[in-house]
Amino acid sequence: MAAPLYVTQSGRLWHAGLILICTVGLPARGKTHLSRALERYLRWLGVKTRVYSLGDYRRKVLGGADSLPSDYFVTNAPRSGSTDALRQSIKNQLEDQIWDFFTVQGGQVVIYDANNGDKISRKQCFDKFEPRGVHVIFMESICDKVDIIEANIRSVKLSSPDYVGWEAEAAVADYWSRIRDQEAVYESVTVDEGPFVKVMNVGERIEVNRIEGYLQTRCCFFLMNIHTTPRTIYFARSGQSLIEHSYKADSDLSPAGWEYAERLKAAVAARRKALREERRANGETLGTENPLLVWTSARRRAYHTAWPFVHAGYKVEQKPIMSEINPGVWDGLSSQEAMERYPDEWERFLADPYAHRAPRAESYHDLSVRLEPCIFELERVRDDLLIIGHASVIRCLLAYLVGLPPNEVPAVEIARGDLVEVTPASYGVMTRAFHFWSGEGRGDQSGQNLYENFAEATSGKGTVLPESGVNFAADVENMESEAAEEEAKDKEIKAELVKDALRKRLGSTDGTRSAPSEPQGMGPGEDARSHKARRASRSRKMEVFTPEDDEDEDENEEEDEGEEIAGGPGGFKTPEGTQSMISPQRLQKSV
Amino acid sequence: MATTSLPPSALGPNGNNNPSGLSLTRPALNPGGGVDPMVLEDAMNKLDSLRLTRSPSSTSGHSQVTSGASSPSGTTGKAGLLERFGGGDAKSGIPGSSETVAATLGRSIPGTPHFGAQTELLKTLDESTKVIRQNANIPSRASSVSGIGAVVEKPDYSEAKIVVAMVGLPARGKSYLSNKLMRYLRWLEYNVEVFNVGQLRRSKARAAAQSGGDKADHTAVFFNHSNEEGNKARTQLASESLEALIAWLKAEGNVGIMDATNSTFERRALIKNRLAREPKLQLLFVESLCNDPAVIATNIALKVQSGDPDYANMSREEAERDFRWRIEEYERVYQSINEPDVSFCRILNVGSQVTINRIEGYLQSRIAFYLMNLHLKPRSIYLSRHGESMYNVDGKIGGDSDLSERGWEYARALPDLVKKNIGDLPLEVWTSTLQRTIQTGSFLPFEKKTWKSLDELDAGVCDGMTYEEIEAMYPEDYEARDDDKFNYRYRGGESYRDVVVRLEPVIMELERQENILIIAHQAILRCLYAYFLALPQEELPYIKANPQIPLHTLIKITPMAYGCHEERYPLPIAAVDTHRPKPNSGHRKNSIPSGGSSVMGHGSDNLEAISRATANTARDYYGDLSSHPMTNQGSASKLGELTTSPKHGSAEAVEAVRRALEKDQDQGKLSPKVAVGSFRGQQ
Repeated sequence: MAAPLYVTQSGRLWHAGLILICTVGLPARGKTHLSRALERYLRWLGVKTRVYSLGDYRRKVLGGADSLPSDYFVTNAPRSGSTDALRQSIKNQLEDQIWDFFTVQGGQVVIYDANNGDKISRKQCFDKFEPRGVHVIFMESICDKVDIIEANIRSVKLSSPDYVGWEAEAAVADYWSRIRDQEAVYESVTVDEGPFVKVMNVGERIEVNRIEGYLQTRCCFFLMNIHTTPRTIYFARSGQSLIEHSYKADSDLSPAGWEYAERLKAAVAARRKALREERRANGETLGTENPLLVWTSARRRAYHTAWPFVHAGYKVEQKPIMSEINPGVWDGLSSQEAMERYPDEWERFLADPYAHRAPRAESYHDLSVRLEPCIFELERVRDDLLIIGHASVIRCLLAYLVGLPPNEVPAVEIARGDLVEVTPASYGVMTRAFHFWSGEGRGDQSGQNLYENFAEATSGKGTVLPESGVNFAADVENMESEAAEEEAKDKEIKAELVKDALRKRLGSTDGTRSAPSEPQGMGPGEDARSHKARRASRSRKMEVFTPEDDEDEDENEEEDEGEEIAGGPGGFKTPEGTQSMISPQRLQKSV
Repeated sequence: MATTSLPPSALGPNGNNNPSGLSLTRPALNPGGGVDPMVLEDAMNKLDSLRLTRSPSSTSGHSQVTSGASSPSGTTGKAGLLERFGGGDAKSGIPGSSETVAATLGRSIPGTPHFGAQTELLKTLDESTKVIRQNANIPSRASSVSGIGAVVEKPDYSEAKIVVAMVGLPARGKSYLSNKLMRYLRWLEYNVEVFNVGQLRRSKARAAAQSGGDKADHTAVFFNHSNEEGNKARTQLASESLEALIAWLKAEGNVGIMDATNSTFERRALIKNRLAREPKLQLLFVESLCNDPAVIATNIALKVQSGDPDYANMSREEAERDFRWRIEEYERVYQSINEPDVSFCRILNVGSQVTINRIEGYLQSRIAFYLMNLHLKPRSIYLSRHGESMYNVDGKIGGDSDLSERGWEYARALPDLVKKNIGDLPLEVWTSTLQRTIQTGSFLPFEKKTWKSLDELDAGVCDGMTYEEIEAMYPEDYEARDDDKFNYRYRGGESYRDVVVRLEPVIMELERQENILIIAHQAILRCLYAYFLALPQEELPYIKANPQIPLHTLIKITPMAYGCHEERYPLPIAAVDTHRPKPNSGHRKNSIPSGGSSVMGHGSDNLEAISRATANTARDYYGDLSSHPMTNQGSASKLGELTTSPKHGSAEAVEAVRRALEKDQDQGKLSPKVAVGSFRGQQ
């Protein structure tokens, strides 16, 4: 029940009534993939949804392929009467369970994962459910690309209990013969059979017929956006800010926050390299590396955490709808204060941390609804994606990705300094977390994670099940030293390039400033060129990033911060940054 | 000292060691950086003086706990200062204390006290943290924070360049879909133009006729596909139109809609091959099919009646016969889209069956989803602001106040008005989650839904202030907002653009629904209104047709073939005027010089806005007329009707407001300053 837009008086969501989505398609066409993805989305929307898989049920009742009558999958010749009866009884039992889910358990959507490859079986199904007030939709998955099918067989079907103990090639051959048998009698869904959506080659083409209603059109839009291109999604929190606990103050990063931002950039680079190595070690064939896209909220602390990425020419998009959960009138209060001043509200809040909305605040539920457009965009993106955001937002997005029940969402620990990595796997995602930062703003003395305010915080908001896939506190892997190394390397390369540029500019060979011919020589433009060169040398995705751009940027910076001294004598700017007039020595003395 | 590693400094609001909850983060004292202690001392002093204005009871206790718990004994000097800095203002948000501050500064009680812009706290914090952030020894830094908001740049849409080529027989609603799509995407700030081949043909013919040439024959003979000359002329026109579209897209546009029949494989292949030479442009075909004779007949009748110059000198029967003949000419060669290797979206009877092929990219999928949600069932959308609220009376923005007495009066009167209008038709009421809209809808006997996304624009740190207060405290920010209200984002709050983004799912849902009454807020309704009446975004924050979106007025919007029809039903219940006109005083750069006072000098703008809104319902046959909407038939009478409808600013209403305010004042609810302020719109 993560994000229902509204609940109706009937207790069900939307006036959509009961929906049965019947998958249609030959084996290994990604029906289960679509079913699971849709189930995850609908559950996140707050719809009570369940996938009923005929194959799984048959395996549960009858066992693997070895224990079936030999003509169980035969379609091109008549089956024996007993086999037909067996098939029918398995089907009837499962359909009884589906009916039970609708009527007794209060379910709203069932995805019936079966082949349904002929008109007669579809008609039977339609006639069984439609008169009882269930809206039946066919979801056909068509695939005419042999390589997709073959990949699907190898990645999913071989691990099926049907083929336990089989040799891989024999199993593949057996599966192909199963497919060919069915191909001969397969009938695609036609317009007169009822509402349908056809998905060709995992989203390449979608055909939608007579699909009406909120949930139904949502499902289609969802199917339009999903794809199976391999990619990785990263999440990281924003750095520490100056006024941590106020939503409204929208404050800037603290010095530690700026350092965190630099380290984050290094950590992401290091992790992406390491992941590639892992894949190579696993024997995967690697194509070119996906470009990295960065999303942040429009909150200053998040966007500024992405600043090193902006500076290095990555594409960084600000998404205003990704702002953290709004604490409403409790903004700036500690939990102690909120408790004292709003005792009743506080109690209700603790009773239901997911759905309770404090005065003028957002509940996690509101936040999930707000984030829905992001889900679609997230599904559509094919590049690797880094989302720099806020704990509450990361929780909601993770809840969608791993299929977390709502009551666990507010309790997910997202430490500042952990990089969460989400990789799509068959029928779901794999999550891992990497600890790259232990500086200021990560945790308090007792080791508890620090959060901006208690709307973001986890304390008193339940627990996450150990196996939920988001129990990062327990499973985090350390990569602090790798990240630090990467940052140091980065700096070295940059310094080298600056020296090179200097040498060229000054016509000297030792890199020192032998001639003060151009005191402003190492201006921002030079800096940008070195950036550019560095990026080129490491073959990252190049963005349009001209020296002029950089100049503008720096000019703005100086305009905005009039009091800041831009550089030392002669305005010399080192790659390590603006040197402050106030030297550390002076500071030490005066303090 | 400089290398002392201090305990984690976010005095975590959830950390048990710091019940006071303040967490101005202490700067890291890393080697190689530093804060000028003099500046810091100065900041501390400012904060101290601020603290002194509060009652001592509110700060005692906690600050001691704070420094004791989180600053180890060895920390001295600067760290100690910072502890005070940190612990000291923790309680600034307590109503008691902020009241004291407010009283001291002579301002109203802030709606959301914490770091609100009402007190000096925010300014002081900004000033002091500006110094602290210099400490970071980092090469890349963005600009710092100050003030109560900033103008936000438009997201970069420069990569989105799509040619949407319509496909379909005449009278199948191609122009309807083009127009809807244009409105939707423009509302989302994409640069969209419709290039109508028919318009180009007619304009050319007219130009030729005016310059003394022969009147071109544009009867059905022209459209016969064995008419060689006609074919050539039409191909020529189509390619001219396409070239214009491509040139425009390359220069500035995001989505160019080519509104033409494109009815054959051959014609579509021409377009495809032409665009193959433009690697940055994507091509999407949108086919509108219709096999409902009733819909086709309506479309034909609309076409014939609407003054199409092709039928200028014909009787209606003749024209209709000719048009049907023209359709037959097209039908003879029509080939429905079916090419496997192009992106297309095929729509049968607007929404009943949709086929989507090879949709690529986010914008294309948005377009397809939008087209999927459209329907043609007749319906109306009613918009109403909430009844007058206590904050309206006080002239404050934001908040979650209750209705005023007159607001309740409106809420009680609303059901009758709605029922009279809607009759027995089904209606659904949507409100925001704020009390004033829920209360306004409380007497309506219809199904209700509350939407968080309909909540008023979040004014962030300015929530609960009056415009006068904002202007007095942050004159520069106030001006910045006036200069570009659409793009101005309140600190800790939203801009109009943010509101548009968050309303997008509401629009999508609205397109699917039938009769809906939305009870919401000024900024929200401006955005929705702008969508339906295709108002440009820069005008959106100032929508003031008749003369704005006033309180206590029901607005009925009925989607028509080529736009929306609007009716207004003002209820004679007085209310304060919450509209703040776009300032155009001369001292601001880039402002258009204009006479008259800032309140009353907008008569001409009003007319413009109204005429644009109404002109929308008339079909534009030349395309070059759009800059003179007044010349369209029908808009003149409409204009009269709109401008003569009673305004709530009549003498009686003003008197009623004055009486109500005086009453409140007598009871001590209002300060005289606020009472005067709330009249500013009426004067």
